[in-house]
Amino acid sequence: MLRDSAADFVRASTDHKRLRKLRGTSPGYDAALARQMGELGWFGILVPEQYSGLGLGFAAMAVVVQELGKGLLADPMVPIVVLAGQTLRRGGNEALKERQLSGLASGSLAPCVAWQEGLGGLDASAIETRADATGEGVRLVGRKRFVAGAGGATGFLVTAKSARGCGIYWVEKDAPGLKVSFEWRADGTPSGVVELDGVLVPPASVLTAPSAQGLLGLERAIEEAAVMASAEMLGVMEAGLQMTLEYMRNRVQFGKPIGSFQALQHKAVDLYVQQELARAVLGEAVQALDGGASGAESSMIASRCKSRCSDAGTRITREAIQLHGAIGFTDEYDVGLYLKRALVLSGWLGNASAHRRRFAALSAQHAEV
Amino acid sequence: MDFPTPTQDWNAMTDEEFRRRAADLFGTHVPRHLCHLNRRPRWAEVKDWYMTMSSHGWLVPGWPVEYGGMGLSPAKFLIYVEELERSGAPRVMDQGLMNLGPVLIARGSEAQRRKYLPRILSGEHLWCQGYSEPNAGSDLASLRTEAHLEGDEFVVNGQKIWTSVAFDATHMFALVRTDKTVKKQAGISFLMIDMNQPGVTVRPIRNIAGHEELCEVFLDNVRTPRDCLVGGLNEGWQVAKALLGFERIWSGSPRQSILALLRLERFAKLSGKMDDAGFVDRLTQIKMDVLDSASAYDRFAQIMRTGGSFGFEVSVLKIWATETCQRVTELMVEAAGEAGTLTGDVDLGGEAIDILYPFLECRAFTIYGGSSQVQRNILAKSVLNLPA
Repeated sequence: MLRDSAADFVRASTDHKRLRKLRGTSPGYDAALARQMGELGWFGILVPEQYSGLGLGFAAMAVVVQELGKGLLADPMVPIVVLAGQTLRRGGNEALKERQLSGLASGSLAPCVAWQEGLGGLDASAIETRADATGEGVRLVGRKRFVAGAGGATGFLVTAKSARGCGIYWVEKDAPGLKVSFEWRADGTPSGVVELDGVLVPPASVLTAPSAQGLLGLERAIEEAAVMASAEMLGVMEAGLQMTLEYMRNRVQFGKPIGSFQALQHKAVDLYVQQELARAVLGEAVQALDGGASGAESSMIASRCKSRCSDAGTRITREAIQLHGAIGFTDEYDVGLYLKRALVLSGWLGNASAHRRRFAALSAQHAEV
Repeated sequence: MDFPTPTQDWNAMTDEEFRRRAADLFGTHVPRHLCHLNRRPRWAEVKDWYMTMSSHGWLVPGWPVEYGGMGLSPAKFLIYVEELERSGAPRVMDQGLMNLGPVLIARGSEAQRRKYLPRILSGEHLWCQGYSEPNAGSDLASLRTEAHLEGDEFVVNGQKIWTSVAFDATHMFALVRTDKTVKKQAGISFLMIDMNQPGVTVRPIRNIAGHEELCEVFLDNVRTPRDCLVGGLNEGWQVAKALLGFERIWSGSPRQSILALLRLERFAKLSGKMDDAGFVDRLTQIKMDVLDSASAYDRFAQIMRTGGSFGFEVSVLKIWATETCQRVTELMVEAAGEAGTLTGDVDLGGEAIDILYPFLECRAFTIYGGSSQVQRNILAKSVLNLPA
């Protein structure tokens, strides 16, 4: 049912012309569409019922995100609902959670997580941003980068360290000392740079107090968001491959549809094999998240999932350009939009090789215990 | 001949209980010296094991109970196969169990079932499969071995090839040409042939791994009674196609890649390659490929378990499982360097591993049962709907 309504939404709302117009602008997605998604309740899928959400699981979330991915309409779902929402859920500040999660579920608030710095990477604790204690609370000083969803964000969950370890702090988007600017991703969507020049955080806005375990909840949320980004990637690759197969059936050269040539058929089949592997691993990862698999187990399947989906998505959309020939190289033809979205999703939250390294490290740890 | 009386409704058991029973039975009776064998054993070696399984009523998981099988549901069937694999049990003469039996049950006459099925169970009849010919490989329907009726007998002339363990077989089921005037698929019949008669010559073929399990079989004026025809005359192609189903998912099982991966990891530990970051990255990649193969297999197995069905998309499994298995063995040969050029067990400082054998053996995986290229043709046409 959820899949049908998401598919209907995508059929009615997919508009690549509008998408092209939004490139290089903030927030980089159609706010009216995002409002509709809110009305459909999709922002509340993962939010527990006590915070006015639907309290459904990742299986439901994955279905919606995958379908939206087919129409390149998933932004800003995963950054807000999964990365920020799941980080909030695991925080220790009940009043802040209540306010932010219920706003998120209704679509009125759009919190985002500002956790990476420098050149990025998956190690959430590798940060320089400081939380300095003052009389009224703490002051944040640092520079965050690669903040997904920053364009439409109503505020940020900022990670920072102090003598006691790392903590997570809530900062409103118009807080004094906060400056948001953008770098532009392959698909024309903004990637936020958040500069914090002594931004004051009162005690009521501390989500997670600094400690050695202060980022555990965020790390778990990053894994969950990586799996949901993989679901979006599955939708992107499905649409990219479908478009390519359709072209191969219709494009005539040498007096025949090019899809009748065996060399091209076998190439297309290899892409289909990758798509089906991605679907299978994603299914297993979603099951692990919903089934409450243990830490190491769910971390490993999450990495395997993001790795396969990143590889499969970029490979399929890259080869899609080749199979289209010159027309695929034009900005006017839609298949290039799918390659660019795949590039963004592949790199966000760790690409295939980053997750392979993580998987290897986890395997080695696992073997020792 | 009578069929043994069923003793137990296996499908009424929980999966866990059935798995435990299977593990117990295989674990107790599997001949230790034949476990995880690097080659296909001869009938004389595995006969006792075959007869033990038969006497317990555990020889054929898939046949219906009334014909002496266990009548397992797909879910229990998978558990049976997984546990059998886990036990390291040697492969027996299984063409009668896996192929002919199901064909007779689906398309044979009751008289044929009563005559042949019990003799498969008792080990009296050992079957081999006569499909491929020197000029009919991927294009199987172009086969030329022919049969014509003389009175109440078919007279068969021709040559079959790539017939596994034909030297141990007492009988062959074969596809033969019975009409040369029609479209190639429409002139083929499915015949059962007694191998113990003049005119049958079996010649083993040595493979690149040095083993002789494949054979050529020459049929020179070989005779078989008219009632050895399964299905109608010229309906052989349809009869053979009825065999698909479980075979199609099983040929895409990750079991061989998993075994190859375990061997590769053991090699890596012994040889000190785990200190080589470049190697570790490639090992991780291939390991994830193997695990993803298992995920894809599980997805189809899940569909089967819940009573669903699937079409040709299942070919994805065979392509990925077999090609991944090959890459695993290629990485081991390459990582071994000079040691990867040595045949047989190679001493790696205390423990020995055969590095080349798995590499050579799995060259066959992407060829038999529909080559990787034929699978891709099938997917392109039937699943991706690409034009001919």
